[in-house]
Amino acid sequence: MNRMSKLLSNTWVRVAVVVVVAALLLIAPLVLPVFANQTLTRMGVYAVAVLGLNIIMGYTGQVMLGQIFFLGVGAYVTAYGVNNDWNIVVTFFAACILPGLLGLVIALAAARLGGLAIAMVTIALPIIGVPLAKRLTDLTGGSQGTSARFSSAPDWTGLDNDQWQYYMVMVITVIGFVLAYNLVRGKFGRAMAIVRDNEAVARSIGISPYRYKVMAFTIASIFGGASGFLYMVAVQYTSPETMSFAHSISLLAAMVVGGAASIAGSLIGGVYYVLVPQVTNAIDPTVTAISQGIILVAVLFILPGGLVSLPRVIRRLTRKRDTAVATSPQTTSPMHQDAGQAAEGPETERQGQS
Amino acid sequence: MNMRKRYRGVIGVAAMASAVALVVTGCTRGGDTNTGEDGEAAASPGITDDSITFGITSPLTGPTAGPGNCTVDGALAYFGAKNAEGGIEFGDGKTRTVEIKAYDDTYDPQKALANFQQMVAEGVFAAGIGLGTPTNRAWRDAAIDEEIPQVLVMTGDPLFSNREESPWQLGLVATYPQEGEAFGQLLADSGEEHKVAILSQNDDYGEGYVEGFKNAVEGADNIEIVGELTYEATDTSVDGQLTELAASGADVFFNAMSITPLVISALQKAQQLGWNPSWFLPSNTSSPTAILEPGGGAAFPGIYTVAFSEAAASPAFQESEEGQAFMAALGEYTNQDGIPGFPHCVWSWIGAATLEQAFQNMEEPTRESFMDALLNISDFDAPFMLPGAEIDTTIDGIPAVSTVVVQKYNGKGYDTVENFG
Repeated sequence: MNRMSKLLSNTWVRVAVVVVVAALLLIAPLVLPVFANQTLTRMGVYAVAVLGLNIIMGYTGQVMLGQIFFLGVGAYVTAYGVNNDWNIVVTFFAACILPGLLGLVIALAAARLGGLAIAMVTIALPIIGVPLAKRLTDLTGGSQGTSARFSSAPDWTGLDNDQWQYYMVMVITVIGFVLAYNLVRGKFGRAMAIVRDNEAVARSIGISPYRYKVMAFTIASIFGGASGFLYMVAVQYTSPETMSFAHSISLLAAMVVGGAASIAGSLIGGVYYVLVPQVTNAIDPTVTAISQGIILVAVLFILPGGLVSLPRVIRRLTRKRDTAVATSPQTTSPMHQDAGQAAEGPETERQGQS
Repeated sequence: MNMRKRYRGVIGVAAMASAVALVVTGCTRGGDTNTGEDGEAAASPGITDDSITFGITSPLTGPTAGPGNCTVDGALAYFGAKNAEGGIEFGDGKTRTVEIKAYDDTYDPQKALANFQQMVAEGVFAAGIGLGTPTNRAWRDAAIDEEIPQVLVMTGDPLFSNREESPWQLGLVATYPQEGEAFGQLLADSGEEHKVAILSQNDDYGEGYVEGFKNAVEGADNIEIVGELTYEATDTSVDGQLTELAASGADVFFNAMSITPLVISALQKAQQLGWNPSWFLPSNTSSPTAILEPGGGAAFPGIYTVAFSEAAASPAFQESEEGQAFMAALGEYTNQDGIPGFPHCVWSWIGAATLEQAFQNMEEPTRESFMDALLNISDFDAPFMLPGAEIDTTIDGIPAVSTVVVQKYNGKGYDTVENFG
């Protein structure tokens, strides 16, 4: 482990790893079967949605039960833009900005209430969103929904549709994850963590919990809108059913299973959201709901930090065995220090998740 | 320390990427290489010399699981029994068994599309029979692109039966306009003077019913529409609309409403107002036990609805030979317990019988040949159809169930009627 870390501290090795990962992401769709590409594409869609949820809930500690609403708004804006021949880049930004503005307006009011009130307000979003989408027939196509087909591969690329959609989703997902990574690692992320852990402390050092909650909420809704755009890339159809409240809870469960307050956990959450129904379909399609329930409970009991904490738990277990076997204090102490620090960092980072 | 943490993250990503790479080595991208080397037309995927695979995506868990499971179980039972007899003889002379593959979409459009993609990957020959308008719409475009039949879907949305827009689709159950039209026709044919009040849900559902009804009464001098109002699907009360319509003096009330509690309260409100018209109710909100009894439907001179299939709970159904075969197959091949609570089980059985017709007539093991055969079924005496209701797939714009019959409430259940009044 130690040697491995040392190896990785070499800049060239790090660059090589990034290059290899990038190459794999780029080459994968060219060799993978169609269905694998389509699955990866959908994973990207939900990874972005879960990422947004993680920013407000995992990192800032505010209960958000309406993320699917912003995904739905993003999807509808995309559909509207495409069907009215907007430029695709304009459409994408509109799909991010409009949900972001909505999120901002809602957060300005909701964050003032504080505590569980923000959760109640966000529950209302999908509950209002579904009938609203049905009623605004001219904008949304009513309860029949609306298709928007814009993600077929252009001829000059020589790609198949599934490959093109994969690349579109992959690029936006990667950008989203890099932005979120930098966000939570920086000053903003530290402020969010303090707001989450103790609002009084935050206030005492000049951090306004209200302002940070509003900002986190807005960012979460922008990510929600972006995932709505990606949803349209992958699915090309949206209807009021898209933003039904149950899906919001599924997103939340995906976030918990993946790992709250973790960037990698959001990715795992997206994978989980897409993969489990597919696997249960292959085993017994009537057990979708119950299998998801069992996985959620199992994760909460065994890995409260989500699947992302699995390597850390394994490391902790192996470390225990190592210390039991080792006799010389010289060999154990550096290891101890190393592993102890490594475990401590993410631990504090993940406090406050419930 | 902070740096080291970052490398760990990098290790994680690298590990994940290599996992993906492992998957890659397992499977390579298969082109659409349909090499029919034996001189005949190349067989479509999902069909061999002794079997054919049919996929159904439907809500099998969640709030719509009841009817959703029925849409799978009827077909599962039908083909289970047929396979036990050795299979079905296809139009090309080969005898094949039919394998039904079920997928759960939980009424989520996105999952329905994912299920379709999974079906393509798993090589189904054709798909359909599943329940739901948004879910079926979600993979309609993809099915057209892939040229995979999406047939006998259970939705009243007319789009699926529009041959030009939906070349690879066909609906099974009657569309909303068809239902409205059947009642309108009965009224127009009565020859008596009638004043009609219309209340409809302000969406495609309500509009479909009203459109069909108006088409049928257009040009009939004896029918006058004296009031027409709408309500929103989210409304909790329609008392205001009912009061207004009651004042119009209508003797027939056409109520295109899809929400059960609203229908019950509307029946009660009309009685409170002392308004006693004859009612029309859509097929999905006309249940004798769930709606008319609590609503006091017996107080009105007549409550009409439309239907095409026999009810599994009726004594005639249970005593018939076909009905007993249905119950036996359902008991043996599915998890249904006793008489199914939703008509979709019977509908799915009818859909399966229609599929069998298409299988028997398709001359080549291809999807094109299947669609040709499927869109060419007429004079088919399908099981469990009410007298007067028909399966005919040859009419553009009309789903497989081409004719429905109007029925009147008799205090317990429904009887088919020829004349209004």
